[in-house]
Amino acid sequence: MKTGKLLRIGAIALGLALATTMASAQAINSGAQTIALNATLAESLTLSLSANSVNFTLAAGSAANAGSTNITATTSWVLKPGRTAVGVYAYFANAASALTDGAGDNIPSSAFFIADNAGPSTALTSTVAFGAANGGMQLANVAINGANKNSSRTDVMAFNINLTGGALPQLPAATYTGTLNIQAQATP
Amino acid sequence: MTLQTKFAGIALLLALSLTVLGRDADAQVLNSGAQTITLQAVLTDSISVSLSSSAVNFNLTAGSASNPGSTGVTATTSWLLKPSAGTVTLYAFFSSSAAALTDGAGNNIPSADFQISDNAGPFTALTTTVPFGGASAGLTLSSTRILGNNRSSSHTDVLNFNINLSTLPNMPAGTFIGTLTIQAQAI
Repeated sequence: MKTGKLLRIGAIALGLALATTMASAQAINSGAQTIALNATLAESLTLSLSANSVNFTLAAGSAANAGSTNITATTSWVLKPGRTAVGVYAYFANAASALTDGAGDNIPSSAFFIADNAGPSTALTSTVAFGAANGGMQLANVAINGANKNSSRTDVMAFNINLTGGALPQLPAATYTGTLNIQAQATP
Repeated sequence: MTLQTKFAGIALLLALSLTVLGRDADAQVLNSGAQTITLQAVLTDSISVSLSSSAVNFNLTAGSASNPGSTGVTATTSWLLKPSAGTVTLYAFFSSSAAALTDGAGNNIPSADFQISDNAGPFTALTTTVPFGGASAGLTLSSTRILGNNRSSSHTDVLNFNINLSTLPNMPAGTFIGTLTIQAQAI
């Protein structure tokens, strides 16, 4: 009888101790304070060239007048979702006088050829997003998908002037200068 | 001295003694019963966090590991605790580890690429499961052991932020927004 009473007292004491421990272990939390985060990844499209000048030593009436050097165009982009393509273009401001001696003698864009990444040599006779009508060509068209919204590509351009067409075999001796533009565009 | 004179002196002394005794009886204090007032003063335990700023901007560079936040934020944790409290811990967390910041178009920056440097310590990603927020979306900023002399005290954590995009090479351009939560717990 006495032992049972002692056991009951012990059980009550243990219960009280446990309850006290549980009460002590209760966490108290502060209010949640928030920080608004705003991160902007700006859209960008850049194009850089490995060189900015090419010389040609012309042979009258010759179809093959190669440029002194190839030029690599590196196009890099970070695009927003919704863009579907990146185009790289080469163009002149005037199709009739891509290069000129300044005295009325011109080399038209149709006589100026670019081989892109060792592809076929192609005259600049297309109307592209930039430049003059019939004064350009599209070097590359990259489809944009989920895997390349942030990417780049290179176009190695080899140049040639073909002096066989039309009146070009009669082109007078002179120094002909011109400016070829390389530009990229992301669409839409 | 005649007998008559002696009696008269004695009578005078007696009268004087009685007068003095009567005055002493009149000077005794009279006390009421004692009435008690029960006093109860409650000092409630509390813990709070305040922030020096509630917005941070990031100008991201694609593929870069270093995209620091525009400003640091100081978190001040203040507490008043019961003797049973053993530790005060401050946490930073997101509600989702997969989408700590998002452009709303399915492109997300996970908490694993969001880093905090606490009090000029190393930058650490929020990849731990803490008492608040999403699983694997938190970080323990600091833990203060409560002793007899700091049950009522405070602690400051200067937080600097960084977003690491080196593991997200195909992240498209966009504006990514998110909410970082700072919360303390005493236990």
